[in-house]
Amino acid sequence: MAEEGQVISCHTVDAWKLHTQNGIESKKLVVVDFTASWCGPCRAIAPVLAEIAKKMPEVTFLKVDVDELTTVAEEYAVQAMPTFVFLKEGKVVDTVVGAKKDELQLTIAKHATATATAAA
Amino acid sequence: MAVSGFEGFEKRLELQFFGDEPAILTNMGLRQLEFESLEQVLHAVQCTVVSAVGNPYFDAYVLSESSLFVYPTKIIIKTCGTTQLLKSIRPLLHKARHLGLTLCSCRYTRGSFIFPMAQPFPHTSFKEEVIYLEESLPSNLCYRKASVMPSKISSHSWHVFTASDEARTLISPHVPDVFYTLEICMTELDRVLARKFFKRPGDDKTGDTAGKEMTQLTGIGDINPGALICDFAFDPCGYSMNGVIDGDRYSTIHVTPEDGYSYASFECVGSIYDNHDDVARVLKKVVQVFRPATMSVSTTCTSHEVWTKVATALEPLGLKCRSCTMDEFPAAGNVVFQTFTTRRK
Repeated sequence: MAEEGQVISCHTVDAWKLHTQNGIESKKLVVVDFTASWCGPCRAIAPVLAEIAKKMPEVTFLKVDVDELTTVAEEYAVQAMPTFVFLKEGKVVDTVVGAKKDELQLTIAKHATATATAAA
Repeated sequence: MAVSGFEGFEKRLELQFFGDEPAILTNMGLRQLEFESLEQVLHAVQCTVVSAVGNPYFDAYVLSESSLFVYPTKIIIKTCGTTQLLKSIRPLLHKARHLGLTLCSCRYTRGSFIFPMAQPFPHTSFKEEVIYLEESLPSNLCYRKASVMPSKISSHSWHVFTASDEARTLISPHVPDVFYTLEICMTELDRVLARKFFKRPGDDKTGDTAGKEMTQLTGIGDINPGALICDFAFDPCGYSMNGVIDGDRYSTIHVTPEDGYSYASFECVGSIYDNHDDVARVLKKVVQVFRPATMSVSTTCTSHEVWTKVATALEPLGLKCRSCTMDEFPAAGNVVFQTFTTRRK
């Protein structure tokens, strides 16, 4: 997939549904970065997430702007940004709130290794 | 007292801006500043961002040497150690101008350094700091005042410098601010409690994770239970946290736990419409976490008698009020500086 190794931005609810459904079917860990254009800390952590995405193609990285997809943000009760939601087969297995580099890396590693080998 | 050690006492700078264009605010004013831009400013101050979070009202950053809060038209930087905080003014004003923002008021406060001789220019003395501030601030801030508020202990004073423009100075007494700031400095922390801010030897937890643990173990998490916390534990000891309470309010705690120069600060923003018991409850919890032998509490408010609640909250905890000084500053309002020590002193 051309999108592996990158953070995929979901600009519409349909795109969101498509990518999360793919995540459920592939049984891959899905890391969702809820961001806002006006949030400084979100910009601070963006390059860090992009680096991690490059190194971990076995994980799906999605980016959701809370102003663009307000219903999705509300669904996951996002109040502060960045909020990283970890999904496994459609269920929330973890959350990291804040631009916390170390905690983010650890949480990704923790859930990624528990992933069954991704279906091709 | 140790001969030398890490300086816990912070320098705090608050800059308030106004923008003529309404578009500036819809674009979130200062929050638009590129992260690299902020890092440049912090580099001038010699500290870096360690952890951060934002909400609809402001961005909060935990720094290697304290905290930074960025609102659309206000910026608050609080740094400890030997950082040259005032050097952030010129680059910040420059960047703000590019965003169409003009400075309308400035407030600089600090306690007394434990190791004043270790401070670099312009923090070598309050006099030097005031000269530097005078030279860095634009002339439209025409109402200025500098004051050293004393206590009964000569080594424990509260230094305040405020400057504001005509509009803020003349209007503010008639339009009192809803919010007040509470700045608490604690020294001679209880040794056993201070130990909790040391990382366990052989512990390879990251700063974020260790910080989270410290927040729980020390009871800091209970001070404002609903708050969103960004915490960090330093190697081999030390702790910082920013708390986001109720939307646009913050709290911040910084701890230097080493014996001989132990220090902890607690700062928060309160509202005059808060429940009357809130301030007392928060103060009590803070004292329970640190059990300091000496504590100073500074309240800055344009109206309202918040300071009267402090002594009544602290006395039952064994902290006796030793001094109380009040002064009035342009735009900032009344600053009340009180010092407390335990009866064993």
